[in-house]
Amino acid sequence: MSANGAATTTIYLDHGATSWPKPPGVAEAMTRAVTELGGNPGRGAYRMAVDTSRAIHRARTDVAAFLGVPDARDLTFQPGCTQAMNLVLRGLMRPGDRVVACSMEHNAVARPLNALAAAGVEVVVVEADEAGVIDVDAVEDAMRSQTTKAVVCQHAGNVTGAIQPVADLADVAHAHGALALVDGAQAGGHLPVDIKTLGVDAWACSGHKGLLGPQGIGLLYLSPACQPDELVTGGSGSGASEEPLQPAVRPDRYEAGTPNTPGILGLHAAVTWLRDNGEALRAHEAALVRRFHEGVLSLPGFRVLGPDLGVPRVPIIALTHERVATDRLAFALDRRYGIATRAGLHCAPWAHRTLGTLQTGALRFGLGYGNTEADVDAALEALAELGEELA
Amino acid sequence: MSLPAPREFAVFAFATTHDALDAEALLGDLGFEVVPVPAPPDLSANCGIALRVPPEDGDRAATYLDRAGIEVVRRATILDV
Repeated sequence: MSANGAATTTIYLDHGATSWPKPPGVAEAMTRAVTELGGNPGRGAYRMAVDTSRAIHRARTDVAAFLGVPDARDLTFQPGCTQAMNLVLRGLMRPGDRVVACSMEHNAVARPLNALAAAGVEVVVVEADEAGVIDVDAVEDAMRSQTTKAVVCQHAGNVTGAIQPVADLADVAHAHGALALVDGAQAGGHLPVDIKTLGVDAWACSGHKGLLGPQGIGLLYLSPACQPDELVTGGSGSGASEEPLQPAVRPDRYEAGTPNTPGILGLHAAVTWLRDNGEALRAHEAALVRRFHEGVLSLPGFRVLGPDLGVPRVPIIALTHERVATDRLAFALDRRYGIATRAGLHCAPWAHRTLGTLQTGALRFGLGYGNTEADVDAALEALAELGEELA
Repeated sequence: MSLPAPREFAVFAFATTHDALDAEALLGDLGFEVVPVPAPPDLSANCGIALRVPPEDGDRAATYLDRAGIEVVRRATILDV
C-alpha cells in the first residue's frame, strides 16, 4: 500500500483490452528487431535488409500456418484490428451496396458502418439475443429479400465473451452470394482458429489481445474472392517504382509503407509460444472464467452479462450491480485492491444497447495469460466487500 | 580483400519479396547455391530482391520453382562477383 492508500500491486484482469504480461520471447524478439535487424525489409538486397525480410517472411508463414490460412500471401500485417476492419469495410462497400451486421459489433465495425451508411450504403443490423449471440436464421432472413454484398460479425464478444457461429454465418452468407467478414479481435488466441474450416472471406485480429503480441500490430486475412480497394498506397518494395498505382499482388497490395518489424517479430514470438502452449492456456482460461462466473453468481446484487454458466465463452465476464455504479467499482478495485478492470461501454455501444446496459455500462473482467486462481479469488473477495460497502 | 572475378549467373525476379523469399527457402533446401541480389535494371519491373544461382543451375531451379507454383516474373543472365 502506498502512502496515499493506493494499492501498489496489480492483479491484471483487463486482457479484453490488451494482454499483459507477454509470454517469454516477445520482448527479446522486439529487441532483436531494433538492435540487429535494422535494415528496411523488402527495400534492399544487402544482408541486413535481407535478414529483416526473411524474419518477416518467416513470421507471416508461421502465423498463417497457426491460423490455418492456406496461402500466406493472403495474410497481411496491419496496424491493428480496427485498421483492418476499416480496410475491409471501406474498401468493399460502395453507395447502394447492402451489408448485414450483428448488433454486438465493436466500434471498429460500427463506426465504419455508420460512416458508410451516411455515404449511401444500406446497413441492416440483426439483433442478437439476450446473451449476445447472433441467430444464423435471423441473418439469413435479413438477406432473403435483397441482394447483400457482405455479412459482418464479431467472432467473439468483447462485452459478453459470447462465441458467435461464424462458420455457419459464412455458409449462409455464401448461399446468398455475400461475403463473410469477421472481426476476430477477441477470438485470436482464446479460441482455436482455422481459417480454412471457418470458410470466411475476411478475418481480422488484434495482435496485442489474446494473441499475446505487442500493441500496434494486427492481422488481416482476405480470401482470394475478397478484394477490397487498398486504403493506403505508397512504397511497397515490389513492382516498378515508376508504376503509378499500388501493385495488385498480395501481400504488398495491403502493406504500403515500411512495416512494423518490431511488432511483427514480437507477434511472431507470441504466436510461436501459443502454438506450443495455447491448448493448455485455453483450458486454464476456461477453468478460470468458470470459477469467476460461479463466484459472481453467488454474490448478492451482481448480474453477469452474456452466456449462462457452462456455455463456452472467451474469458470475459462483464457484470453490473443493482445499486453500485460500475465505474465506482472499477476505481475501488484498482485503488484499494490493485485489481485492473475496465468499466464503461467498452467501445461497444451497440452491444450495450442490445444488453440493456447502454445507460449504466458494465464492469468487465478479462482473464488470460498469467492469471491464477488466486487472482480470481481475490477479485471475488473484493467484489463481495465492495458490493456490501458501496451499496 | 580481393573480390572474385565477375562471372555469369542466372537471375530470377519475382512479383513480391514474399515470393522471392519463398523461392530462396525452396532452392536453399534443395541445395542450390542461391543468393539474394538487387534486381538488375532489366528486371526492375519486379521485386527489389532477385535471386541468383550459378548459370548451370538456372534451368533446374526454374523447373523446381514452377513445380512449387512460385511464379518467376522474369529471368536474365548477369555478370556478378
